[in-house]
Amino acid sequence: MLTYIVRRLITAAFILLGASFLVYLLTASSGDPLAEFRASSAPNRQALMDARIDLLDLNTPPPLRYFKWLGGAAQCIVPFGNACNLGKNIAGQPITEALGFALVQTLTLVTGATILAILIGISLGIVTALRQYSALDYGVTFMAFLFFSLPIFWVAVLLKEFGAIGFNDFLRNPEIPPTVALGIGAVLGVIGAVVVGGAAKRRLIVGGSVFVAVSLILFYFSLTQWFRNPGLGPVVIAILGVGIAFGVTVLVSGLKNRKALQSSLIVVGIGVIAYFAVQPLLNDATGLMIFLLAIATILVGLAVGYFMGGYDRGQSMRAAAITAFLVGALVVMDRFMQAWPSYFNNSRVRGRPIATIGAGTPNIQGDFWIMSTDTLTHLVLPTIALILVSLASYTRFTRSSMLEIMNMDYIRTARAKGLSERSVIMGHAFRNALIPIATIVAFDIGALIGGAVITESVFSVRGMGFLFIDGLQRSDVNPVMGVFLCVAITAMVFNLVADLAYSALDPRVRIKA
Amino acid sequence: MRFGRTSKAVGIAAIAVMALSACAGNSGGNTPSTGAAAKTGGTATVVEVNAFNTFNPNTADGNTDINSKISYATHSGFYYIDNKLNVVHNDKFGTMEKVSDNPLTVKYTINDGVKWSDGTPVSAADLLLQWAAFSGYYDDADTKAKTGTSYFSYAGDNTGLSLTDFPEISNNNKTLTLKYSKPFADWEIVLGGPGIDVPAHVLAQKAGLKDTQALIDFFKSKPRGNSKAPLPTDPKLKAMSDMWNTGFDTKTLPADPTLFLSNGPYIVKSMNQDQSLTMVRNKDYNWGPTPNLDEITVRYIGSAPAQVQALKNGEADIIAPQASADTLDQLKALSSQGVTVDQGNQLAFDHLDLNFSGPLADQNVRTAFMKTVPRKDIVNKIIGKLDPNAKPLDSQIFVPQQAAYADSAKNNGSSAFQDVDIDGAKKLLNGATPEIRIMYNKDNPNRVDAFSLIRESATKAGFKIVDGGLGASDWGKALGKGGYDATIFGWINPGVGVSGVPQIFKTDGGNNFNQFSNTDADKLMEQLVVTTDRSKQDDLQKQIDKKIWDSSYGLPLFQSVNVDAYSDRITGVKLMPNQTGVWWNFWEWAQK
Amino acid sequence: MSQPTQEEEILAQQALAEAAGAEAGSEATGGLSQGQIVRKRFFGHTGALIGLAVFAAIFLLAFTSVGAFGIPGWWKYNHTDVSPLVNDGVPTSSLWPLAWGEHPFGQDRIGRDLFAMTMRGAQQSITVMVLIGAIAGAVGAIVGGLAGYFRGWVEAILMRLTDVIIIIPVLLLAAVVGQIANRRDEGSWIASFASNNGVVILGVFLGFVLWVGLARLVRGEFLTLREREFVDAARISGASNARIIFKHILPNAVGVLIVNVTLTMSAAILLETALSYLGLGVKAPDTSLGLLVAQNQEAFATRPWLFWFPGLFIILICLSINFIGDGLRDAFDPRQKKFKAKSAVETTSHSSTTAPVADASKGS
Repeated sequence: MLTYIVRRLITAAFILLGASFLVYLLTASSGDPLAEFRASSAPNRQALMDARIDLLDLNTPPPLRYFKWLGGAAQCIVPFGNACNLGKNIAGQPITEALGFALVQTLTLVTGATILAILIGISLGIVTALRQYSALDYGVTFMAFLFFSLPIFWVAVLLKEFGAIGFNDFLRNPEIPPTVALGIGAVLGVIGAVVVGGAAKRRLIVGGSVFVAVSLILFYFSLTQWFRNPGLGPVVIAILGVGIAFGVTVLVSGLKNRKALQSSLIVVGIGVIAYFAVQPLLNDATGLMIFLLAIATILVGLAVGYFMGGYDRGQSMRAAAITAFLVGALVVMDRFMQAWPSYFNNSRVRGRPIATIGAGTPNIQGDFWIMSTDTLTHLVLPTIALILVSLASYTRFTRSSMLEIMNMDYIRTARAKGLSERSVIMGHAFRNALIPIATIVAFDIGALIGGAVITESVFSVRGMGFLFIDGLQRSDVNPVMGVFLCVAITAMVFNLVADLAYSALDPRVRIKA
Repeated sequence: MRFGRTSKAVGIAAIAVMALSACAGNSGGNTPSTGAAAKTGGTATVVEVNAFNTFNPNTADGNTDINSKISYATHSGFYYIDNKLNVVHNDKFGTMEKVSDNPLTVKYTINDGVKWSDGTPVSAADLLLQWAAFSGYYDDADTKAKTGTSYFSYAGDNTGLSLTDFPEISNNNKTLTLKYSKPFADWEIVLGGPGIDVPAHVLAQKAGLKDTQALIDFFKSKPRGNSKAPLPTDPKLKAMSDMWNTGFDTKTLPADPTLFLSNGPYIVKSMNQDQSLTMVRNKDYNWGPTPNLDEITVRYIGSAPAQVQALKNGEADIIAPQASADTLDQLKALSSQGVTVDQGNQLAFDHLDLNFSGPLADQNVRTAFMKTVPRKDIVNKIIGKLDPNAKPLDSQIFVPQQAAYADSAKNNGSSAFQDVDIDGAKKLLNGATPEIRIMYNKDNPNRVDAFSLIRESATKAGFKIVDGGLGASDWGKALGKGGYDATIFGWINPGVGVSGVPQIFKTDGGNNFNQFSNTDADKLMEQLVVTTDRSKQDDLQKQIDKKIWDSSYGLPLFQSVNVDAYSDRITGVKLMPNQTGVWWNFWEWAQK
Repeated sequence: MSQPTQEEEILAQQALAEAAGAEAGSEATGGLSQGQIVRKRFFGHTGALIGLAVFAAIFLLAFTSVGAFGIPGWWKYNHTDVSPLVNDGVPTSSLWPLAWGEHPFGQDRIGRDLFAMTMRGAQQSITVMVLIGAIAGAVGAIVGGLAGYFRGWVEAILMRLTDVIIIIPVLLLAAVVGQIANRRDEGSWIASFASNNGVVILGVFLGFVLWVGLARLVRGEFLTLREREFVDAARISGASNARIIFKHILPNAVGVLIVNVTLTMSAAILLETALSYLGLGVKAPDTSLGLLVAQNQEAFATRPWLFWFPGLFIILICLSINFIGDGLRDAFDPRQKKFKAKSAVETTSHSSTTAPVADASKGS
């Protein structure tokens, strides 16, 4: 095992050397760093060109320059040496600095989107696999491919137009015309009918009730101007909580496990009581506090599950903990909604909360909730755009993986021995289907660090992608190399991790050490 | 693992890439009063394309539009340039006067009460430092022989200041007098105007000098650099120039307030790396036009559609996006929500140059080719949607914003090339079918379209047009190297100053890519650069313009279009054709 | 580095397809050959059929309307002709009364016919796509096949080469290719060829870059197949390496290859679009769908036809290719029967799956 890792790392180092040499030469030959001066009519054109040549050391042939660069870069391997030198960009800024900032920007932008895309993609993949060749399957497949085929800058422009500008205009006077409310209700009703599947009668009932419920809720929202003053309140939290408790129990243990259901319901009760208890605390919230509260919530859930026990204590604990976490999330969401009006009326926001660009409103001040809301309103559009375009691969992959597994002998065995469909899917199929997904997730992380070049440019975020493409367009080698190093190293490390995880998860795969 | 180490070494908080942009950005200074009665107070958000990265916008690396604009808003000087391209003196800051013509002597006097935001008065020492940096007086580097040292890395042109001797400084440290060894046409805009943006007392302290006086004494003691006999690098001067070159670079607000001292209407309050920068009113400021707004926020947005949508969504108040017909239409569609759109011309213009060699060596062929160029059609199709009144540019030297343009355009012979004259061209060609390779930047849609239209038309007269277009990073290198017969590209008219003219049109000028050579024109240009009188300059330039047209040099095509748009919250924004853009009169901006 | 599209799709198939394709032939489906089974399944896949029909229609339309390879087409304009603006460039076609008009898709600002440009763009995009598919498929199959079959130092060298190329950002390579394709001052034959066929060069170069994912996949496939009994049998009966590779292993691996080539192709169209958006793809005055959309993105609110028509063609091509690929995948995969979760008991499935292999198992 250890030998294997060491060997992989050594190979990786050589691959990195070779690839970085190539990347250096390619970047150096990809353009003209003096382009901006070529047609300049400045009398001191030559002097400016000389300065640039001097700055970028252009008189040294690229292969030699690479080794100079490597000399600096090699010092990055010395731990705590602080001698890391990846050169400077065309503006004279050290690359190490630029990378640090860009990395933070990129991670803020893509982390949430990637996690959500994975979660939604995997869920959709499983559902479509279970209903292969149904209307739902075709619908999801079509939508997934459609979004996959859309150029992202195009999605972004549309999102800004309707998701931000349109929504903000709507917020000025958040009244939903009845026809629109009915229309939205109808669309969701049809979706509901398609999703639920089964006999026509069942579809009709579900579709109809979704239609009625959604339309009524929208009427209510319109009447109370809910979008201006949103909130859940303890009652809604309680109702949603009970729903969550049932849902989670179905997935985790099945409703037959009464103890699990009871633990979940108890947790919901505790959650509603806690709702009142934590309000004063939440007023002075910090990120750390929310994190600690989340931990505490999960611990409470585990404890309830443990004491409720039952024949399968583990299942009760899991169900209660997950329910507790989700109810906690509802409480936090409610607190965000309470902060919404003051964010909305903030003098910097001026009643247009959803932003089209950047990572935050300049100079905005406020408590934790205002600041977090600000970050969220800036992230919402790029996140949706990224999710839409990257959903397809996860959905399709999970679907095939799941289909493959569902045809395995051991699934038939599981069914034959009389296990419920729930335990076959959740306990046997799903877990094994996840194994190969680990590979593509690991692969994605490399791409994630590399930044979403186009998304960044459309949403004016200056992350890794911007650093890379900007360097490339100016034939500025150092930033390109900096980004490349980060991406390549991450990709290789995560590939190794994926391979190790794979062998740990799948007993059929053995590492030859 | 390895990545962990690297990322640790990479450091966490830091700075992202900055973007260099167009050419020189010598903008700065401040102004006499304007009788604006707008409401004071309020805020505005202005969109810029590139991110701010240094408080010294004069260095070769820091000389980007955005740095110059921030400097313009936070520093004052003896003059500024208005949107009619006049040099406007700011007498509240100080006076700049020509005291003698022979030898050309200019006296700069800074008024009492003008001070940096830390309370130190702005003095002749600050001006002296600027002179030392801009003139390259101490440089003794020889690039060929690789000897000597280049100290201050100044982005601008030092031909003017290199003619000056060490300036004379009055005892009260308020007056500086410059003596030129020969007359210099552009004396008005070489010093003291692009904002006096680097405080000498801060630089002196950071470079390890005792005080400002020590700095003056040091400069006085140091002889002019001589690249023929370079001296060893002076460590003191090196320390100063290093501070000047890179010491003010930052993407976050420095902890040390002396690094961003203001002597102008605004002072930087906060910076959000690569996102935004906020300036607030400088309380002490009373030596120039008083601004209306309390606070100006600058946000950086690269793409034009994103700028428009930000304006539409209320995230920005003032934008000046790269103009295209579609952007403009989108902006006009916003007029329902109160957005005002201004459009005009930029100083940049596209032109067709003909090589004085190859098939075009014969003037008849050149003239014939020029006759086929559908200038009106090009302007209508490329610019017409943006500016229905656009006309082809009719001067090689002036732009319509300059007073002399109309006169020059009338007399320089451009009238012969107003309309396409295929028959005339055929007659001149006399049955010949020369093959013309046209080089242009394929990544610039305007030039691609201009090429398509020229090809369409020239082919009718019998020319064989070869598409010699190159990608964005190659076409510049190919300029002047031959391999093409004609080229379409752009110049940026400096707007103010005449030093650029010989650069392009004189025999062996640095940017004379098509080998144009005319002895009469050369003589006129020699005269031009030593003429300090504005009207005489115009007169000479008109004569030069005519000589150029008479030689069938090529054709100016159209000026780029300049667009700005601002929301209904803001008033007082005015177009400006040069790189200062809307910022030129930022003090007149006001919130409704 | 643009969007994590193609690699994922390939990886997505990797683990599954390895085992699947191999067994396509061995399934007992009543005396039909593998080809027949695949064809039958494929033609039973509605989505794939529609995809195929749409793609064929686009292909014919694009290549006949404005002509190709020097043969003139039936449409009266080509993508570089400038004609006077009709109706201010607004599309002249209408649904009711059904009319085609002078410029059915409208014109751009200088009067080029957008229909001709879109058709030319579709040609270019299809060319890039097919080139990338063909080259990446061929190189991937050869490299992967050699590495997987011979193992040892051949594998070590080829796979390390793959590793090196796979971590070089595609954008960078595309930028360099763009440089070469637009460099015509050098006068060499490649430069003069590139000046007229920039898109071909782009396709060829990208093809030589994008094979890496396929090579990994094919290698995995070969690793599994070479251990199988029928290969042993062939070897014992004295078949040469070439014969074993071409007659015995390759036909069994071809399913995986084809499926993933189609997916690479659909990703290639998007890659071309992204590159053109960033100014690194096809250069004007030649055109491609991606370039048209990128150039006209600002027009989306004001002259939407400039944006919608090429965009529509991108989506149509991409969707149809994806559906074809989807159909092929289902057709080549013997175990992907139409199965229902509840009543899946009866389905026969021969699943003696070998490990869905990660690189780890192959001792790299």
